Amino acid sequence: MRIRRVVRTSRVPLAILQCASCLVPSRQRAEWTAEWRAELWYVWQRCNGQHSSQLCGDEDAVAFCLGAFQDAFWMRRNSPRPEHRSFRLESAHWCGVLLGALAAASLMVALLLPGARSKILRSPYRDADNLVLISPDGYLGATSPTIAIEEYQAWKRRSQSLFTDFAFYRPALDRAKMAGHQTAELNVAVASGNLFDLLEIPVESPALDEARREHRPALVLRHSAWRRYFGRDSNVVGKFVEVAGERAVVAAVVSDDSWRLPGQVDAWLLETERGLNAPQSSSLGYVLGHVAHSAYGTETRGDQWHMLVPREGGYDGFDCVSVAERIRQPFSIFLFALVLACLALPATTPLPLGDYPKTNDSLFWMTRRRRWIFLSIKIALILPIVYCGSLSLAYSKTSLDPITSQYIQIFFSFTGCLFSFRWALRDQRQRCPVCLRLLTNPARVGQPSRNFLAWNGTELMCDRGHGLLHVPEIATSWFSTQRWLYLDPSWNDLFREPYLPSAGMF
Amino acid sequence: MTGMAVESKLSHTAAMILQTIHAGYIYGFSVMEMTGLPSGTVYPAMRRLERDELIRSHWEQQAIADADQRPLRKYYKVTRAGKATLEAAQKRYPLLVKLIPSPEAKHV
Repeated sequence: MRIRRVVRTSRVPLAILQCASCLVPSRQRAEWTAEWRAELWYVWQRCNGQHSSQLCGDEDAVAFCLGAFQDAFWMRRNSPRPEHRSFRLESAHWCGVLLGALAAASLMVALLLPGARSKILRSPYRDADNLVLISPDGYLGATSPTIAIEEYQAWKRRSQSLFTDFAFYRPALDRAKMAGHQTAELNVAVASGNLFDLLEIPVESPALDEARREHRPALVLRHSAWRRYFGRDSNVVGKFVEVAGERAVVAAVVSDDSWRLPGQVDAWLLETERGLNAPQSSSLGYVLGHVAHSAYGTETRGDQWHMLVPREGGYDGFDCVSVAERIRQPFSIFLFALVLACLALPATTPLPLGDYPKTNDSLFWMTRRRRWIFLSIKIALILPIVYCGSLSLAYSKTSLDPITSQYIQIFFSFTGCLFSFRWALRDQRQRCPVCLRLLTNPARVGQPSRNFLAWNGTELMCDRGHGLLHVPEIATSWFSTQRWLYLDPSWNDLFREPYLPSAGMF
Repeated sequence: MTGMAVESKLSHTAAMILQTIHAGYIYGFSVMEMTGLPSGTVYPAMRRLERDELIRSHWEQQAIADADQRPLRKYYKVTRAGKATLEAAQKRYPLLVKLIPSPEAKHV
């Protein structure tokens, strides 16, 4: 009964027609809808009892309109495909636009992911070339803290000719109690007071100056932590919080992009030298050193170098890795993967683009230049797509350790470069050298059994009549690569048809 | 596609619809009423016949529809190729003419 009541409203048949019309190709939709509405009018006329008929009642109108779906499906299946639907990658312009859009999208995604964003933006440290991260394990030293506080303090005390200064920080998960706010667990780096001075990150705050004067710890918040844990409180600077068992004044809020060193950090607790020494004196941390400009040139030192530190009865060995190199590392990894992909490319697809007969007219040079420009644009757009994509995949999860992220980046950079270059070359070979559209209508020619007596392979043609492409089935010494045959304008009459369906061999 | 080419493909339902149109039931709903076939069969079949150039359609004049206070109607008419195909179909399905008499038969 309920269904019957719904069906009896006259809007239901019209709604059904409206839904069915969505299936009809847009060019025919208006006429199709007009015909079905007109026919429905006669159904209603019959149902209103003006004429005697078997059809009676709105249920019949609904049943009548349900038949519209079958008609709409038929229209959809049997309508000729409009030309613009087949543009996809056929047109060089659309191919470029699509790749450009992909590059923009991948860049946007990478910029939205904090982990990937920090790898794309340029270094926030002005003197990154002279900053080094000191650890006994080289690049592996970034995975966990390795230097004891006593060692750092011993280096600080000793007169240095190589380094002008050192800074220490030790990331740890600490509970912070905020006055008027709830308790939150923050990743707090307990750091030496000169950390931001060494990195040359401008933190100008009267609260920080006051804390330094009074030899009190100061807390510098990261922007994302200030947003998340302090509810964007604009008056937070100058307030006191209890963190790592100490009462510290919130001195400043710094940008998320200003931190590129190892360790997850929400806030930095800038301690006095005495404060650093006190409760966690046995804890390990990271040590940054600033190399004196007069010591060695950057080119002489290199990105990573080893140093020996004298101790009682011997020497301790430490690796110094340039902070600039650490920041550049994702791009260096990408370049490495790019070189590997270029080396592996010939194993996946032939490198020659084909044999295009040389003609004397200027058309040859113009089309040749256009082909190479198009290939260069494709490759130029593929590179940022793969780079940003691999960064997004490798560094989207900040919980992953740096070494795992690097392996992920190498894998995706290599496979991304390899397969996208392969696609770029294959795509280039399947395009008309004149209009740069994809060739259509592949046809098999010849027989494999007569390969050595006659020609055997596939022929494709440009649907605008610019020429034919012969692709040999088996590369031989007399027909090793595909050959293009230019057609002169006398063939134009054969290529007037706007749409030639392709058998889709490729 | 010509009428001769589709002659062999004409199903009984399509032949019946072609015969109905030929008999003077020249819009979709009247074909439905005459044949008793549902809309989901009649309209796609008429599209197919039109595609194969066995029938052709045209919209009536707006003035006529306005005078009768009804929406514009789309009419169908059997083409010359359609008539030739229908003759062949009538030989194949002799009951067609008895079910739906042609205008010529009505006059006799």
